[in-house]
Amino acid sequence: MLDGTEDEEKFLAAGIAGLQQNSFYMHRALDSNNLRDALKYSAQMLSELRTSKLSPHKYYELYMRAFDQLRKLEMFFEEETRRGCSIIDLYELVQHAGNILPRLYLLCTVGSVYIKSKEAPAKDVLKDLVEMCRGIQHPVRGLFLRSYLSQVSRDKLPDIGSEYEGDADTVADAVEFVLQNFTEMNKLWVRMQHQGPAREKEKREKERSELRDLVGKNLHVLSQIEGVDLDMYKDVVLPRVLEQVVNCKDELAQFYLMDCIIQVFPDEYHLQTLDVLLGAYPQLQTSVDIKTVLSQLMERLSNYAASSAEVLPEFLQVEAFSKLSNAIGKVIEAQPDMPTVGVVTLYSSLLTFTLHVHPERLDYADQVLGACVKKLSGKGKIEDNKATKQIVALLSAPLEKYNDIMTALKLSNYPRVMEYLDIPTTKVMATVIIQSIMKNGTRISTSEKVEALFELIKGLIKDSDGIPNDELDEDDFKEEQNSVARLIQMLYNDDAEEMFKIIDTVRKHILTGGPKRLPFTVPPLVFSSLKLVRQLQGQEENPFGDDASTTPKKIFQLLNQTIETLSGVLAPELALQLYLQCAEAANDCDLEPVAYEFFTQAYILYEEEISDSRAQITAIHLIIGTLQRMHVFGVENRDTLTHKATGYSAKLLKKPDQCRAVYACSHLFWVDDHDNMKDGERVLLCLKRALRIANAAQQMANAARGSTGSVMLFIEILNKYLYFFEKGNLQVTVAAIQGLIELIMNEMQGDTTTPDPAADAFLASTMRYIEFQKQKGGAVGEKYEAIKVSHAG
Amino acid sequence: MSLRRRTLLKVIVLGDSGVGKTSLMNQYVHKKFSQQYKATIGADFVTKELQIDDRLVTLQIWDTAGQERFQSLGVAFYRGADCCVLVYDVNVMKSFDTLENWHEEFLKQANPPDPRAFPFILLGNKIDIDGGNSRVVSEKKAKDWCASKGNIPYFETSAKEDYNVDAAFLCIAKAALANEHEQDIYFQGIPEAAVPENEQRGGCAC
Repeated sequence: MLDGTEDEEKFLAAGIAGLQQNSFYMHRALDSNNLRDALKYSAQMLSELRTSKLSPHKYYELYMRAFDQLRKLEMFFEEETRRGCSIIDLYELVQHAGNILPRLYLLCTVGSVYIKSKEAPAKDVLKDLVEMCRGIQHPVRGLFLRSYLSQVSRDKLPDIGSEYEGDADTVADAVEFVLQNFTEMNKLWVRMQHQGPAREKEKREKERSELRDLVGKNLHVLSQIEGVDLDMYKDVVLPRVLEQVVNCKDELAQFYLMDCIIQVFPDEYHLQTLDVLLGAYPQLQTSVDIKTVLSQLMERLSNYAASSAEVLPEFLQVEAFSKLSNAIGKVIEAQPDMPTVGVVTLYSSLLTFTLHVHPERLDYADQVLGACVKKLSGKGKIEDNKATKQIVALLSAPLEKYNDIMTALKLSNYPRVMEYLDIPTTKVMATVIIQSIMKNGTRISTSEKVEALFELIKGLIKDSDGIPNDELDEDDFKEEQNSVARLIQMLYNDDAEEMFKIIDTVRKHILTGGPKRLPFTVPPLVFSSLKLVRQLQGQEENPFGDDASTTPKKIFQLLNQTIETLSGVLAPELALQLYLQCAEAANDCDLEPVAYEFFTQAYILYEEEISDSRAQITAIHLIIGTLQRMHVFGVENRDTLTHKATGYSAKLLKKPDQCRAVYACSHLFWVDDHDNMKDGERVLLCLKRALRIANAAQQMANAARGSTGSVMLFIEILNKYLYFFEKGNLQVTVAAIQGLIELIMNEMQGDTTTPDPAADAFLASTMRYIEFQKQKGGAVGEKYEAIKVSHAG
Repeated sequence: MSLRRRTLLKVIVLGDSGVGKTSLMNQYVHKKFSQQYKATIGADFVTKELQIDDRLVTLQIWDTAGQERFQSLGVAFYRGADCCVLVYDVNVMKSFDTLENWHEEFLKQANPPDPRAFPFILLGNKIDIDGGNSRVVSEKKAKDWCASKGNIPYFETSAKEDYNVDAAFLCIAKAALANEHEQDIYFQGIPEAAVPENEQRGGCAC
């Protein structure tokens, strides 16, 4: 058996060849004004359209070629009549063509000229033509012939304001003509499915689908007729078209034509005929995809409503919302097997509609969601991909419309719809909500709203019962949790009491998040709380003074408990950082015991949980830095804490790290602006201890590698010496500095020294600094003058 | 020979749904405009006669469906076009972005002998909307695109206010006229072996 398409190409090529050949002779006849031959060859040319072997697509190609040739014939006919040939005679003459199909094409072509000549009323010619076309009952040939008729008559309809309008010709005739052609075409189209063997049904349906625009075109022509005003549409056009649609009882035709009606006629017509239009839906075959057609109607009306506020009264006047709402209810009821996606699509369209038309009627929106929940109930979690997508669209619509989650939170049925989402979709929706808040900078300012919001986004806040989260991509998870973190920062109220409640609410929710989420969610909560602490600290005294009101102390208690959860989930470094932040905040509030407690917690973590040496280095420097800024501690507490810190420093694993931590500790004994915190002796002790460690480090390097290490540590210590020297620490003497410089020089010139350009540069710049300070003059210059700089190398 | 002097020019109007293709044609041919949006189904033409220099020209302007689902029979009507008019809405970025597709698709389907020389014209419609405040495609951007396509002529139009419509279509007609390749039947190869006139090729007796 030959391949079907290949075969078809052959038939098409043969058809085109025949057509070209005859059109060649036709043209020759036209050029020599030979009417008889022109008719003969044009008829032969048109005979090619009698084929049954082409699919609609290919047939259309052939038809278009014939069509182009017929335009030239039409011009010739016009010329002929101008030369005195009677158009009536021509109209008769072409009917002598032997085959009916060419005959009718020629008749339509002459008919077009006939109408143009105005020698007979347009309506009579049109009526004659549309009747004569009944002669072709083969669906494909008939549909193309009639579409030819429709095409050539389009600009000759006796429309209002048209030159063909007259006493005998009215727009009613134009409409009647198109309706009749439409009806006949639809019949041909519907009948096509019953022709041919049953096994080719699928192919036939495909071909029918290709032909659909030929039928639908008539509706487009109707919509373009100027005289089809609302009244005529309501009284004649719509009823007649719907009658045809309903009675043809064909699924394909019904679905397509309902779509056409919606798309080709103007929105205000639909609004004014909503009852009739919606009334047709239940009469369609049950297999028709009504939800799509209805959604398209609502989409169009929504766009219309959105186009201008001026049209909104039209919607109210016809009670469009309740009509659509009823229609949807009926359709869903009539089709109990409608898949969930269909149900949700319908409600989603209705919601979009009401949001556009009645933005102020939140109760309508809630009603739609409520109706949707009702239909979803008993179906469990929705797992159909398409359906969940539609639910996301449904739930996103109010957010997009109001740019404000607060409005959506007022919709009581909103969270109830969310119940039906599966876990991944719940997350998608939660992300959509958070993005909306971010984008619009929505203020969520009461604990109640926060509670409602966290209820909505709980998909991101905690694992669903019994379902672990393992399969989730690490990056996706981070992104999700980062968005939650950003959200937490957005929750804010000026009122401290309310803000405290918000923090408490957030805390309650995020603590359910489990070990993987806490490291993301606890820090923003801590900082949010500290922000509140600072706000309270600015206020003089608690104006209420009662125990129930929010105090920094209370917040710190809460923070202590919150951070504690982190150490339990293997994030001790993070917890340590947060403790130190809190300690500093407590310091600013003059709460010594609280600050001490936070330090104690940090120290415990350091001792018990932080064992990695790099983490220890980071932690110890954080501790030293924070402790240096603390001024709230009394001597005893401070001594305890600094003693510990120095002890930790000296116990780091590697000598250089020990050395650096120890000289950093020197700052713990010398705080600017606090004279009671300047202990020159202990500063020097630290520096000397650092020097000893640096020496030990050098010796170790020597023993291990046979060469001494870098002198970097010594230069660093030298800089510390200079710092305290300049700050006026009398324990740091010129002699000590001088000694240190010499030591460094010797080390650098030693045979076994490893060259280190960085150290050289550092030393050179230190020396330049000393030189610079000398030249400054004044008290500083005088001080530095005593230091003798020997230029090395 | 008067017939030979009358020239039929075929023009195809393409562009996204709702950019105003039908409205531009209605304004040009019938001098009327409707605010109502009515989708177009399939393709069909209107004709307009005009005089260019001493030639009487009939423009056959093909309006097309912007929505793909209303173009079920394909685009066989592109064949033999003398000019292609691309339309976008200056207020809708997407309608500008898709011009590339329309341009490419037209050349692919119409398959003109010299695609690089085939005349296109771009119309940026609806410039009246909101006094131009809602436009999102600048004139420069459109002109740059035109330049990148081999200096396509560009017109900013308003079908509603009949702004630049006649000028645009006159330009279209001239471009089509300049392009009008002789589709004359005499220059086409005619198969030598004439097919017998009464040969049946599968048609029924009707």
